[in-house]
Amino acid sequence: MNLLTATTRYYLLLTTGLFVLASALLYAGLPQVLRHETDEQLLSERLTLQRRVARGRPLPTDLLFAYQLGRSRQPRRLGYSDTLLLDERENELVPFRQLTFQLDAGRGPEWLTLRQSLVERHDLRRVLLEVLLGALGLLLLGVVGLNRWVARRLWQPFEHTLARLRSYDLHQHRPLGLPRPPITQFAELNQALNQLSERLVADYESLRQFTENASHETQTPLAIIQAQLEQLLQAPTLAADETTLTLVGELLNSTRRLSRLHQSLTLLSRLENQQFAPAEAVPVHLEQVLRDRLDLLGPLLEARDLHLTLDVEPGLTPRLLHPGLADSLMQNLLQNAIKHNHPGGTLAVALSKAALEVSNTGPAIAGDPSRFFERFRKHNAASDSPGLGLSIVQHICTYYGFRVRYDYVAGTNWHTLRVEFTPQTHGVRPAEKQPVQLLS
Amino acid sequence: MKVLLVEDEAGLRQTVTESLRQTGYVVEVATSFGQAQEKIALYRYDCVLLDLTLPDGDGLDLLRELKLDNSPAGVLVLTARDGLDDRIKGLDLGADDYLVKPFHLSELNARLRAIIRRRQFQGQHHMAFRDLLVWPEQNEVLVRGELLTLTRKEYDLLLYFLANPGRVLTKEAIAEHLCGDQVDAADSLDFIYTHLKNLRKKLQERGADNYIRTLYGVGYKLSID
Repeated sequence: MNLLTATTRYYLLLTTGLFVLASALLYAGLPQVLRHETDEQLLSERLTLQRRVARGRPLPTDLLFAYQLGRSRQPRRLGYSDTLLLDERENELVPFRQLTFQLDAGRGPEWLTLRQSLVERHDLRRVLLEVLLGALGLLLLGVVGLNRWVARRLWQPFEHTLARLRSYDLHQHRPLGLPRPPITQFAELNQALNQLSERLVADYESLRQFTENASHETQTPLAIIQAQLEQLLQAPTLAADETTLTLVGELLNSTRRLSRLHQSLTLLSRLENQQFAPAEAVPVHLEQVLRDRLDLLGPLLEARDLHLTLDVEPGLTPRLLHPGLADSLMQNLLQNAIKHNHPGGTLAVALSKAALEVSNTGPAIAGDPSRFFERFRKHNAASDSPGLGLSIVQHICTYYGFRVRYDYVAGTNWHTLRVEFTPQTHGVRPAEKQPVQLLS
Repeated sequence: MKVLLVEDEAGLRQTVTESLRQTGYVVEVATSFGQAQEKIALYRYDCVLLDLTLPDGDGLDLLRELKLDNSPAGVLVLTARDGLDDRIKGLDLGADDYLVKPFHLSELNARLRAIIRRRQFQGQHHMAFRDLLVWPEQNEVLVRGELLTLTRKEYDLLLYFLANPGRVLTKEAIAEHLCGDQVDAADSLDFIYTHLKNLRKKLQERGADNYIRTLYGVGYKLSID
């Protein structure tokens, strides 16, 4: 729900409630007050008459309306009471308040009745309600109008901040640089966000540098070791010394493994930190990447006597990808399907607009399939390979928003890894998390 | 054949130089951007082996200069940076090839040989080794004048050996050469044996016996005598 709608709703609820309460109180209370006022007026008139009589003057006879004062020689019930009298003009009964008291004007006791019309109180109620309802209506309209204006004007800096946050790309290595709006809360929000983004940029930068340095600085000594060991292998004295020769060979092998491991881990962390700028993506023909890789892996297929079936949907358009990542994805999927195959088995690759499917025959693999994508997950503990291949596959897929699924059909011992591409629009961008919608 | 090695890491520079000299190249070295610039301006090389990260400059700038001068020298980029970034940039600028550090010296020899062969437009187009004669343009191999029929991978394998005469080639280096440097060598060694066996057999049938020697547990070597 829109924040303004929500606040307006509560505001209106409160206003309406208060209005209803006020109206009810006035509706019920006003007659009481009026009656009380009338009573006091009648009492004051009575006192005036009593004082007049006490001074020896006669009762007034020139009254404007006869009903205002009734006189009687007969005893009447004393005190206040309500009554109805006929209004001759409108020919209807009109409520009156009356006060009866006894008075002796010198010619014996007399009962006097003072009357006041109560007809105004009905009109008063009506007017009151009309005014209140009118005010309520105007207030409601005012609140809605004001909120619209507020939404347009006062919340503008907030909308601006939100738009900037949505389009913010850490890869540009720039802090947000939000302005300082006049409203304190928004100014504080922007300041906090600016600080946050500055920290993010600094952290990201140091992380990026570390990954870059780690990959560069570590590979250099590894390169030296590897070259020197390989050169050592050429030493003529070693040719006759099989033990040392084997040892140097193994050292060389381990160095190579270390360097590969390092490269894989660097790739994983670069993927996790989204360190492949979208700008580096170019249109990649996956079919070509696939065929190149298969071509290179040909001898491996041959040596294991694997049968290859290739099914490529014709007319595939290139996808916007980082060429290195596309290659790595393909390599790791194929390598995995070869590694876990059995001699004489089948390797089936299907590439379509929607998905890439790499299937292979092979023995069932124990364990939870969802954990196959974990790092250092090895089917065979004795294997020299570090078990990062599928983890890299998963990370590349996540990076591009592709879905990757593993299926195993027990009866046929058929393993399938299926990569579902995102629908091709004009280009594939790395998956972005949708920001939470605050204001619609 | 004369090559210039531009590399600031002393350990790597010495080892690579030694290896290249053993293979038969005339090697000059430059330890910095400035030195490399000077040598490129003064001398002619068949190929420049270029490290991209130099203390006083970017190797890619040297590459740009070479291209601007229309230098006939081939350029083989050696990069320690992650291959996912620089390989494309370097090749776009006109490098003939690239190698990501760490690399196999034998692979360096093979790449270097290929670059120089592609760039030599005059003179002989063939390579001779003992009784072998290879015409790379036609993908033909002759043993004492007789045509040898090889599969493509066997041919690649033979060229790899010929680029590294007398040097020990590890199984891993051979596997990576044939199946790409991303190949998991640990899982792919078995096929090398098959290919080598076939290649040896074919050579032997034509009378080129004992050309390839096995070094048990380590690798193979093309014997020079």
